[in-house]
Amino acid sequence: MLGEFEYLLITAAAGLGHEGYGAAIRQQIETVTGRKCSIGALYTTIDRLESKGFLKTWMGDATPQRGGRAKRMVQVTPEGLRAARDFYETVMRASRGASWVAHGWSQ
Amino acid sequence: MKGGRMLLDSLAQLLERDEREAVLGDMAETGESTGQAVWNVCGLLLRRQLACWNDWRPWIAAFGIAFPFSFPLMGFSVSLSLTSLQIIDPATHQITNSGVKLLLGKLLLLTGWSWTGGFVTGSVSRRTLWVSALLALLPCCFCLSRFRIEHLHGFSLLLFLPPAIQGVRQGLRMTRLRLRSAVLVASATTLLTVVPGIMTSPSLLNLALSWPAWYLVAAAGIKRRGTGEQHA
Repeated sequence: MLGEFEYLLITAAAGLGHEGYGAAIRQQIETVTGRKCSIGALYTTIDRLESKGFLKTWMGDATPQRGGRAKRMVQVTPEGLRAARDFYETVMRASRGASWVAHGWSQ
Repeated sequence: MKGGRMLLDSLAQLLERDEREAVLGDMAETGESTGQAVWNVCGLLLRRQLACWNDWRPWIAAFGIAFPFSFPLMGFSVSLSLTSLQIIDPATHQITNSGVKLLLGKLLLLTGWSWTGGFVTGSVSRRTLWVSALLALLPCCFCLSRFRIEHLHGFSLLLFLPPAIQGVRQGLRMTRLRLRSAVLVASATTLLTVVPGIMTSPSLLNLALSWPAWYLVAAAGIKRRGTGEQHA
């Protein structure tokens, strides 16, 4: 099963579609979670997911706002989508009946 | 900030080409400060190094070859140097045949042990080679600082280093030997270990120094069997 960060990364990459690459995925994760996402965590997780067959990556075009450097493009594979859906369903099943789900969140 | 930029560029050189391109581009795009960029690259390098150590091979290279081999190989380097001083018969001032044979035998054995150790280290621990190198050099520095033998220079301790370094270089390029070459090297090294005269006695420790040579035989055999199965 995927880990939490792996799930976040696959979800961000899937949402970005053909625009998925390192900086965009990182920004998406930071916006959704409200936490800083380190480059080290991002790229080592991308490698791990790629070796599991959940992502496909390739070097894209260079742009001037990147100082003429290429992007590492990321695309989620059908296996990756399946793994993310399994994770989501597991979390939903595990959360059924939990107090914060049944009564709503209050501090 | 020029120093910070130089530090960032130097650290980024330790990343693979495509990754360096992607990471530096991402940080330029998001407008990160040089300090943050250095921190991020350090974090990535650290994670990459730690990930390498999840595998058994860097452990074998560092703690199965580099560190434990450096002590006996230094000892054998000194033994070779002492033999070179004794090949001249003090009575006749002539080079003796037995002395030359002994010297050649020891030289071949030292070269075999060092080269195969270096080859295996280079081939199985590319990304962690610096750790293996450090672990091999620390004992050398320690022994060099305490070396006191009449008529011998301290560098006679380090005779094993040139073949070991050559082995590492070839290991980085080739990964494995052909089966026939590997069997030849392993058999020669093991035979020289048990030949009377070259070693005072063929102890288990001396035989253990031949394990990288036999590892090369096993690796070449597995590769050959894999290729054979593919053809079948």
